[in-house]
Amino acid sequence: MANTNIQKYLPLTEATYYILLALVTPKHGYAVMQDAEEISQGTIRLAPGTIYGAFTTLEGNELISMVGKEGRRKIYQITETGIRVLLGQIQRMEIMLQSAAKNFDLWQERTAEEESHD
Amino acid sequence: MTNKFITKQKWFWAWQDEKEEAWLAEMAQQGLHLNTVPFPGSYRFKNGDPADHVYRMDYQSLKTKDKDSYLQLFADAGWEQVGEMGGWMYFRYDAAKGTAPEIFSDRESKIGKYQRVLTYLAILLPLMVVMMPNITGAERYGPIFVILEALTFLVMVLLSFGIIQLFRRINQLKKTG
Repeated sequence: MANTNIQKYLPLTEATYYILLALVTPKHGYAVMQDAEEISQGTIRLAPGTIYGAFTTLEGNELISMVGKEGRRKIYQITETGIRVLLGQIQRMEIMLQSAAKNFDLWQERTAEEESHD
Repeated sequence: MTNKFITKQKWFWAWQDEKEEAWLAEMAQQGLHLNTVPFPGSYRFKNGDPADHVYRMDYQSLKTKDKDSYLQLFADAGWEQVGEMGGWMYFRYDAAKGTAPEIFSDRESKIGKYQRVLTYLAILLPLMVVMMPNITGAERYGPIFVILEALTFLVMVLLSFGIIQLFRRINQLKKTG
């Protein structure tokens, strides 16, 4: 398990990213829908069919596991492999942000230069 | 005095789910609300007040124990299950509750639905090919076998057409989202 290659799961879709992030604490499907909308500051709204499909796939890949039931609702939580995948995704996003910051600095410098030539 | 229930016959193919959803919403605006789908192509409606309802269909072959949690999740999100026929799940959402949502929020999961239908049809087709010689075995003649042969052939043509249509639908979704 510890040697599971996490690279094959990366990059995560936005939906999967927020689902895994929400499942850092145990939740049922609808709670994940609500939590994802809140932590994404409303930028993502997950639909039930999407959540259900993602849960099935993530459970099959052992990135999440069922930890209990609340009536007819299944409660899931992220696994250790899931955490490592999530961290891998976060690392990718950090690289994305750093590269953006660097290239925007270059762009701003160039724009300033062009303006001074006018 | 009107009847409480009305049954309508209408045929939609597996790749016409969006057309079917639109038709059910149209019926709801006339006050006919889907109650059950007793047979393929047969829709039982309950007579009531016209309403703005959104209908969506999913395709799932779930074990009973998984179906409970599946339906509960849809119910929590405001989708009432109103029918089930051959793996097709019919859901209704009251548009008056706010903006009409979808049952799939991204392209991947929407494609996933058509892939599940496709898998089902793709299993049926080779099964038909294997069955064909048994049904229409060389030593058998007579009108019954001609009819059976024609029917089997027709079903195979339809299955192939369905598979092509679903592939096109999936490719279209991959391009446009």
